[in-house]
Amino acid sequence: MVDTVSVPVEPKHSRLEPPESYFVPATDIYETADELLLVADLPGVKADGLDVTLEDNILVIRAKPREEPKAGGDVLLQEFAAGEFYRAFQLPADFDTTKVQATLKQGVLTLRLPKSERLKPRRIEVKAE
Amino acid sequence: MALIPYRGRTMPGATLASLRDEMNDLLNRFWASTAEPFGLAEWSPPLDVAETDDAVLVHVEIPGIEAKDLDISVTGDVLTIRGEKHDAKEEAGHNYLRVERRYGAFTRTLTLPAPVDAAHVEAKAHAGVLEIRLPKKAEAKPRKVEIKGA
Repeated sequence: MVDTVSVPVEPKHSRLEPPESYFVPATDIYETADELLLVADLPGVKADGLDVTLEDNILVIRAKPREEPKAGGDVLLQEFAAGEFYRAFQLPADFDTTKVQATLKQGVLTLRLPKSERLKPRRIEVKAE
Repeated sequence: MALIPYRGRTMPGATLASLRDEMNDLLNRFWASTAEPFGLAEWSPPLDVAETDDAVLVHVEIPGIEAKDLDISVTGDVLTIRGEKHDAKEEAGHNYLRVERRYGAFTRTLTLPAPVDAAHVEAKAHAGVLEIRLPKKAEAKPRKVEIKGA
Protein backbone atom coordinates (compact mmCIF):
# COMPACT_ATOMS: atom_id res chain seq x y z
CA MET A 1 0.00 0.00 0.00
CA VAL A 2 1.23 3.45 -0.81
CA ASP A 3 1.71 5.58 2.24
CA THR A 4 -0.17 8.82 1.73
CA VAL A 5 -0.18 11.20 4.63
CA SER A 6 -1.42 14.72 5.04
CA VAL A 7 1.56 16.50 6.54
CA PRO A 8 2.46 19.90 7.84
CA VAL A 9 5.34 20.24 5.40
CA GLU A 10 8.41 22.35 5.90
CA PRO A 11 8.00 24.63 2.95
CA LYS A 12 10.96 25.56 0.83
CA HIS A 13 8.95 27.79 -1.42
CA SER A 14 6.38 30.37 -0.50
CA ARG A 15 3.73 28.90 -2.78
CA LEU A 16 3.80 25.69 -0.76
CA GLU A 17 3.11 27.56 2.44
CA PRO A 18 -0.43 27.47 3.77
CA PRO A 19 -2.38 30.73 3.77
CA GLU A 20 -3.08 32.37 7.10
CA SER A 21 -6.57 30.92 7.32
CA TYR A 22 -7.98 28.23 5.11
CA PHE A 23 -10.46 25.40 4.78
CA VAL A 24 -9.35 21.79 4.45
CA PRO A 25 -11.22 20.19 1.58
CA ALA A 26 -12.75 16.75 2.21
CA THR A 27 -10.68 14.36 0.13
CA ASP A 28 -11.02 10.73 -0.91
CA ILE A 29 -7.99 8.76 -2.07
CA TYR A 30 -8.25 5.47 -3.89
CA GLU A 31 -5.51 3.21 -5.09
CA THR A 32 -5.77 1.05 -8.16
CA ALA A 33 -3.12 -1.12 -9.78
CA ASP A 34 -2.02 1.71 -12.07
CA GLU A 35 -2.66 4.93 -10.24
CA LEU A 36 -3.68 6.89 -7.21
CA LEU A 37 -7.01 8.63 -7.58
CA LEU A 38 -7.54 11.70 -5.43
CA VAL A 39 -10.98 13.32 -5.27
CA ALA A 40 -11.44 16.61 -3.39
CA ASP A 41 -14.58 18.69 -2.81
CA LEU A 42 -13.91 22.33 -3.66
CA PRO A 43 -17.35 23.94 -3.82
CA GLY A 44 -17.42 27.30 -5.58
CA VAL A 45 -14.00 26.85 -7.20
CA LYS A 46 -13.47 27.30 -10.92
CA ALA A 47 -10.42 26.30 -12.93
CA ASP A 48 -8.88 29.78 -12.83
CA GLY A 49 -8.99 29.81 -9.03
CA LEU A 50 -7.27 26.45 -8.65
CA ASP A 51 -3.55 25.85 -8.25
CA VAL A 52 -2.17 22.31 -7.99
CA THR A 53 1.59 21.92 -7.62
CA LEU A 54 3.79 18.90 -7.24
CA GLU A 55 7.27 19.64 -6.04
CA ASP A 56 9.70 17.38 -4.22
CA ASN A 57 6.90 14.82 -3.99
CA ILE A 58 4.73 17.22 -2.06
CA LEU A 59 1.37 17.73 -3.66
CA VAL A 60 -0.21 21.06 -2.79
CA ILE A 61 -3.78 22.00 -3.61
CA ARG A 62 -4.73 25.65 -3.25
CA ALA A 63 -8.04 26.98 -4.41
CA LYS A 64 -10.00 30.18 -4.15
CA PRO A 65 -13.75 30.09 -4.63
CA ARG A 66 -15.29 32.52 -7.04
CA GLU A 67 -16.12 35.75 -5.26
CA GLU A 68 -19.85 35.94 -4.81
CA PRO A 69 -21.27 39.34 -5.56
CA LYS A 70 -22.90 40.31 -2.30
CA ALA A 71 -26.63 40.19 -2.78
CA GLY A 72 -27.12 42.34 0.28
CA GLY A 73 -30.04 41.72 2.57
CA ASP A 74 -30.10 40.13 5.97
CA VAL A 75 -28.28 36.89 6.64
CA LEU A 76 -30.73 34.50 8.30
CA LEU A 77 -28.65 31.35 8.38
CA GLN A 78 -25.00 30.78 7.60
CA GLU A 79 -23.58 27.28 7.61
CA PHE A 80 -20.65 27.77 5.31
CA ALA A 81 -18.23 30.54 4.56
CA ALA A 82 -16.30 31.22 1.40
CA GLY A 83 -12.55 31.14 1.81
CA GLU A 84 -9.37 29.67 0.48
CA PHE A 85 -8.87 25.90 0.41
CA TYR A 86 -5.47 24.42 1.16
CA ARG A 87 -4.17 20.90 1.52
CA ALA A 88 -0.78 19.25 1.20
CA PHE A 89 0.06 15.59 0.78
CA GLN A 90 3.39 13.85 0.92
CA LEU A 91 3.64 11.37 -1.92
CA PRO A 92 6.01 8.46 -2.21
CA ALA A 93 8.79 9.05 -4.72
CA ASP A 94 7.63 6.60 -7.34
CA PHE A 95 5.17 8.64 -9.29
CA ASP A 96 5.32 9.67 -12.86
CA THR A 97 4.88 13.37 -12.18
CA THR A 98 4.80 14.28 -15.86
CA LYS A 99 1.60 12.30 -16.40
CA VAL A 100 -0.55 13.66 -13.59
CA GLN A 101 -4.04 14.50 -14.83
CA ALA A 102 -6.31 17.00 -13.10
CA THR A 103 -9.94 17.71 -13.87
CA LEU A 104 -12.39 20.03 -12.15
CA LYS A 105 -16.09 19.43 -12.53
CA GLN A 106 -18.96 20.82 -10.47
CA GLY A 107 -16.60 21.89 -7.73
CA VAL A 108 -14.90 18.50 -7.50
CA LEU A 109 -11.20 18.11 -8.28
CA THR A 110 -10.10 14.71 -9.57
CA LEU A 111 -6.37 14.02 -9.71
CA ARG A 112 -4.96 10.92 -11.34
CA LEU A 113 -1.40 10.13 -10.36
CA PRO A 114 -0.03 7.28 -12.45
CA LYS A 115 2.38 4.96 -10.68
CA SER A 116 5.80 4.48 -12.13
CA GLU A 117 6.47 1.08 -13.64
CA ARG A 118 8.45 0.06 -10.57
CA LEU A 119 5.42 0.47 -8.28
CA LYS A 120 2.94 -1.44 -10.38
CA PRO A 121 2.13 -4.93 -9.29
CA ARG A 122 3.87 -7.46 -11.45
CA ARG A 123 2.86 -11.02 -11.88
CA ILE A 124 5.75 -13.38 -11.66
CA GLU A 125 5.53 -16.37 -13.86
CA VAL A 126 6.41 -19.61 -12.18
CA LYS A 127 8.04 -22.07 -14.47
CA ALA A 128 7.18 -25.65 -13.91
CA GLU A 129 10.20 -27.87 -13.78
CA MET B 1 -35.98 22.36 11.21
CA ALA B 2 -37.42 25.79 11.73
CA LEU B 3 -35.42 28.70 10.51
CA ILE B 4 -34.34 30.96 13.32
CA PRO B 5 -33.82 34.50 12.13
CA TYR B 6 -30.52 36.03 12.98
CA ARG B 7 -30.85 38.78 15.55
CA GLY B 8 -28.53 41.70 15.71
CA ARG B 9 -26.71 42.63 18.88
CA THR B 10 -28.31 45.97 19.35
CA MET B 11 -30.86 45.03 21.98
CA PRO B 12 -29.78 44.35 25.54
CA GLY B 13 -30.18 40.66 26.27
CA ALA B 14 -30.00 39.76 22.59
CA THR B 15 -26.70 37.94 23.08
CA LEU B 16 -28.23 35.56 25.62
CA ALA B 17 -31.30 35.00 23.47
CA SER B 18 -29.20 34.22 20.44
CA LEU B 19 -26.99 31.88 22.49
CA ARG B 20 -30.10 30.01 23.58
CA ASP B 21 -31.32 29.82 19.98
CA GLU B 22 -27.97 28.57 18.79
CA MET B 23 -27.87 25.88 21.49
CA ASN B 24 -31.39 24.76 20.54
CA ASP B 25 -30.44 24.69 16.89
CA LEU B 26 -27.27 22.72 17.66
CA LEU B 27 -29.17 20.16 19.75
CA ASN B 28 -31.89 19.84 17.13
CA ARG B 29 -29.33 19.18 14.46
CA PHE B 30 -27.44 16.77 16.70
CA TRP B 31 -30.51 14.67 17.42
CA ALA B 32 -31.71 14.90 13.85
CA SER B 33 -28.43 13.43 12.67
CA THR B 34 -28.52 10.50 15.10
CA ALA B 35 -32.14 9.60 14.43
CA GLU B 36 -30.84 6.77 12.30
CA PRO B 37 -28.20 4.25 13.30
CA PHE B 38 -24.64 5.39 12.78
CA GLY B 39 -23.48 4.89 9.24
CA LEU B 40 -26.98 5.09 7.87
CA ALA B 41 -27.50 8.58 9.18
CA GLU B 42 -28.32 11.11 6.53
CA TRP B 43 -25.98 13.96 5.90
CA SER B 44 -27.01 17.45 4.99
CA PRO B 45 -25.08 19.85 2.83
CA PRO B 46 -24.45 23.24 4.43
CA LEU B 47 -26.62 26.12 3.29
CA ASP B 48 -26.81 29.88 3.63
CA VAL B 49 -30.04 31.85 3.68
CA ALA B 50 -30.31 35.59 3.07
CA GLU B 51 -33.31 37.84 2.75
CA THR B 52 -33.47 40.97 0.62
CA ASP B 53 -36.39 43.35 0.08
CA ASP B 54 -37.79 41.33 -2.79
CA ALA B 55 -36.40 37.81 -2.50
CA VAL B 56 -35.11 35.03 -0.29
CA LEU B 57 -31.74 33.67 -1.44
CA VAL B 58 -30.56 30.18 -0.56
CA HIS B 59 -27.06 28.89 -1.35
CA VAL B 60 -26.21 25.22 -0.90
CA GLU B 61 -22.81 23.55 -1.22
CA ILE B 62 -23.33 20.57 -3.53
CA PRO B 63 -19.94 19.66 -5.01
CA GLY B 64 -20.19 16.72 -7.39
CA ILE B 65 -23.98 16.53 -7.44
CA GLU B 66 -25.56 16.66 -10.87
CA ALA B 67 -28.72 18.64 -11.61
CA LYS B 68 -30.60 15.43 -12.42
CA ASP B 69 -29.91 14.18 -8.89
CA LEU B 70 -31.47 17.25 -7.28
CA ASP B 71 -35.10 17.90 -6.51
CA ILE B 72 -36.23 21.30 -5.27
CA SER B 73 -39.81 22.01 -4.27
CA VAL B 74 -41.76 24.78 -2.55
CA THR B 75 -44.97 24.00 -0.67
CA GLY B 76 -46.55 27.00 0.99
CA ASP B 77 -43.70 28.59 2.93
CA VAL B 78 -41.61 25.42 3.13
CA LEU B 79 -38.64 24.84 0.84
CA THR B 80 -37.47 21.26 0.40
CA ILE B 81 -34.19 20.29 -1.26
CA ARG B 82 -33.55 16.63 -1.94
CA GLY B 83 -30.56 15.13 -3.63
CA GLU B 84 -28.16 12.30 -3.85
CA LYS B 85 -24.39 12.25 -4.07
CA HIS B 86 -22.79 9.32 -5.81
CA ASP B 87 -19.79 7.46 -4.61
CA ALA B 88 -16.43 7.58 -6.39
CA LYS B 89 -16.04 3.91 -5.41
CA GLU B 90 -18.15 2.93 -8.40
CA GLU B 91 -15.31 4.05 -10.59
CA ALA B 92 -12.27 3.43 -8.45
CA GLY B 93 -13.06 0.17 -6.72
CA HIS B 94 -12.86 -0.41 -3.00
CA ASN B 95 -9.19 -0.01 -2.35
CA TYR B 96 -9.47 3.30 -0.57
CA LEU B 97 -6.81 4.96 1.51
CA ARG B 98 -8.94 7.83 2.73
CA VAL B 99 -12.67 8.60 2.53
CA GLU B 100 -13.70 11.98 3.91
CA ARG B 101 -16.42 13.06 1.53
CA ARG B 102 -20.02 12.26 2.40
CA TYR B 103 -22.22 10.27 0.07
CA GLY B 104 -25.83 9.27 -0.25
CA ALA B 105 -29.23 10.87 -0.18
CA PHE B 106 -30.10 13.99 1.78
CA THR B 107 -33.17 16.08 2.45
CA ARG B 108 -33.18 19.61 3.78
CA THR B 109 -36.36 21.38 4.70
CA LEU B 110 -36.64 24.94 5.83
CA THR B 111 -39.39 27.35 6.67
CA LEU B 112 -39.05 30.49 4.60
CA PRO B 113 -39.11 33.84 6.39
CA ALA B 114 -41.69 35.34 3.98
CA PRO B 115 -44.39 34.14 1.57
CA VAL B 116 -42.84 33.48 -1.84
CA ASP B 117 -44.10 33.28 -5.39
CA ALA B 118 -43.57 29.56 -6.03
CA ALA B 119 -44.13 29.93 -9.79
CA HIS B 120 -41.08 32.17 -10.21
CA VAL B 121 -38.49 30.37 -8.14
CA GLU B 122 -35.16 30.09 -9.98
CA ALA B 123 -32.34 27.67 -9.28
CA LYS B 124 -28.91 27.45 -10.84
CA ALA B 125 -25.78 25.50 -10.04
CA HIS B 126 -22.29 26.91 -10.46
CA ALA B 127 -19.07 25.07 -9.65
CA GLY B 128 -20.75 22.94 -7.01
CA VAL B 129 -22.77 25.73 -5.40
CA LEU B 130 -26.52 25.77 -5.87
CA GLU B 131 -28.29 29.13 -5.79
CA ILE B 132 -32.04 29.28 -5.29
CA ARG B 133 -33.79 32.61 -5.67
CA LEU B 134 -37.31 32.77 -4.28
CA PRO B 135 -39.07 36.03 -5.13
CA LYS B 136 -41.35 37.31 -2.39
CA LYS B 137 -45.05 37.76 -2.94
CA ALA B 138 -46.05 41.37 -3.44
CA GLU B 139 -47.66 41.61 0.01
CA ALA B 140 -44.42 40.55 1.68
CA LYS B 141 -42.33 43.26 0.08
CA PRO B 142 -41.74 46.38 2.11
CA ARG B 143 -43.75 49.34 0.90
CA LYS B 144 -42.65 52.88 1.40
CA VAL B 145 -45.37 55.03 2.90
CA GLU B 146 -45.45 58.58 1.65
CA ILE B 147 -46.06 61.28 4.18
CA LYS B 148 -48.39 63.94 2.90
CA GLY B 149 -47.10 67.42 3.38
CA ALA B 150 -48.59 69.36 6.24
